[in-house]
Amino acid sequence: MLDKVADRAGKAAGGASGRAKAPGIDVSGVREAGQADRRGSMSKSDRGTIFELRDLTVKYGGTPAVKDVSMEIAAGEITALIGPSGCGKSTLIRCFNRMNDLIPSARVEGSCLYHGQDLYGPEVDPVEVRKRIGMVFQKPNPFPKSIKDNIAFGPKVLGLDDIEGRVERALHGAALWDEVKDRLDENAYSMSGGQQQRLCIARCIAVDPEVILMDEPCSALDPISTGKIEDLMMELKENYSIVIVTHNMQQAARVSDRTAFLIVELDAEERDRWGQLIEYDVTDKIFTNPADSRTEDYVTGKVG
Amino acid sequence: MEARSSIEAARAPGGRLDPSRPLVASSPRWGERLIQLSLALCAVISVATTTAIVISLLVPSIGFFGEVSFGDFFSTDDWAPLTADPSFGVLRPVIGTLSVTLWSLMFAIPVGLCSAIYLSEYASPRVRKLVKPILEVLAGVPTVAFGVFAVTFLSPEIGKLFPEFIKTPPFAAGIAGLAVGLLIVPIIASISDDAMKAVPGGLREGAYALGATKLKVATRVVFPAAISGVVASIVLAGSRAVGETMVVLLAAGKTPNLTLDPGASVQTMTAFIGTTATGDVAVGTIAYDTIFAVGALLFVMTFALNIFAIRLVRRFREVYE
Repeated sequence: MLDKVADRAGKAAGGASGRAKAPGIDVSGVREAGQADRRGSMSKSDRGTIFELRDLTVKYGGTPAVKDVSMEIAAGEITALIGPSGCGKSTLIRCFNRMNDLIPSARVEGSCLYHGQDLYGPEVDPVEVRKRIGMVFQKPNPFPKSIKDNIAFGPKVLGLDDIEGRVERALHGAALWDEVKDRLDENAYSMSGGQQQRLCIARCIAVDPEVILMDEPCSALDPISTGKIEDLMMELKENYSIVIVTHNMQQAARVSDRTAFLIVELDAEERDRWGQLIEYDVTDKIFTNPADSRTEDYVTGKVG
Repeated sequence: MEARSSIEAARAPGGRLDPSRPLVASSPRWGERLIQLSLALCAVISVATTTAIVISLLVPSIGFFGEVSFGDFFSTDDWAPLTADPSFGVLRPVIGTLSVTLWSLMFAIPVGLCSAIYLSEYASPRVRKLVKPILEVLAGVPTVAFGVFAVTFLSPEIGKLFPEFIKTPPFAAGIAGLAVGLLIVPIIASISDDAMKAVPGGLREGAYALGATKLKVATRVVFPAAISGVVASIVLAGSRAVGETMVVLLAAGKTPNLTLDPGASVQTMTAFIGTTATGDVAVGTIAYDTIFAVGALLFVMTFALNIFAIRLVRRFREVYE
């Protein structure tokens, strides 16, 4: 499997040179490495590509939070973004459904293509984007409403039909139905943290998006609840493409098909710091035979 | 001073306290006790004032109800306490108060809530920083200015627009209500804005991530999540409107009509107290005691509203902590 990947990646022009340059190099070299990985991954996915980032930079008030990220995200897979705190992985995932629009000082440069359309094109309506690309957040954020109304909210707001049916299907889809079917009218805050997070996943799939973004969905949960969410992710993979940000490397290794590793880069004077994509490949390779020594140090626990 | 020197004396040259020294206070610390006592006294003042007001209202009220039965006071609508053949059916001033309060809330609730939604959800931080203090300054304008504004500007202008509307120009419950409404808009806008700002950002993000528009996020998620704070702001504003005196004294007239018609002149409970207390009623007469009976009723009404509002605010604080 890994050989095949390397072989295909090699066919793309920048592949070999990118890898050769990878350890300990300047910014432009890293960008090339990123592009090499992007080209490499393009040929690997079997259900096509949903996102294609080209030199994506996000700035908050002029200061870059993440710089020059180029990568492709495959459909029907789970893609994990890992890296130390401040490496911009949360900033990056929030680009995929224009959540950064809610932060007034945020500016996005470069392009983020969704099925070939630039999400940041001048005609693009963020509301339309978010109807197709849902999100689950770090802290479970159910609305202060009943369990049923939480799930019905999305379909109602979008004017969809068969609300009752959607609620039931979404709860089944999030493996929550058996636990809550007798208390659908109770307030969502009466649920446990893990249940609340699965409710948020159910709420997300109730509007039937194509992609689910998950920003550290298990960081506030205990290991048992985390396990349930990971099992759920493996099931959801059948119907949805998933991008997950996680601090937990074991989680990335367990659930994801592909992993992107980002680090915090400092400028020469150590005044500015920003996130940089170091390596992006199939998860097995990232965790067993990474191309970049910094990736290896991180995944083996030498740093971070 | 003395305490400090004794501590210094107890210190060894290195600066550490001698461990064999008993662990008792080095001085009785009278100053601290005095300060604690005076702080407590200050806190007691407001409680004592409330108690004093209740007593000062209650004692003459008891005298009043010794001569006038509860039934006559609460369930008849003949209101002529200052005449030679007096009648004490309090219904007319109560309806007058309700009328002005009703019309003020009809104006202030929509305007206040729309302002709150704008400030909390739409305004940029810069605009909010500018507009909110201005709005709150409006609450500090002396109410007599609102009263004069109502009589000299609102009443004639509205009279021009709707010539038949005001029955006895320039006085009308609706005009007074509008002016009181202007006065309480800041209460509703400011408290509701605070309540909506206190709704966690995560709820907004959750709604946006489902493809909700800004309006839907504001009206279907943030507003309902802040509802107890919003209701509390309305109740507080209502209680302010019930107790408002100067505006109604100037703009609502003195005729105790038994009507909710905004074009009619009414006499509110506060206006009755204001006029009578500054008039030439002899102390100790039944007419004089009427002031206290009406005042006691007013106190009970606003007290109940405030307790209700405080409970709501407390509940809405608990939800997200």
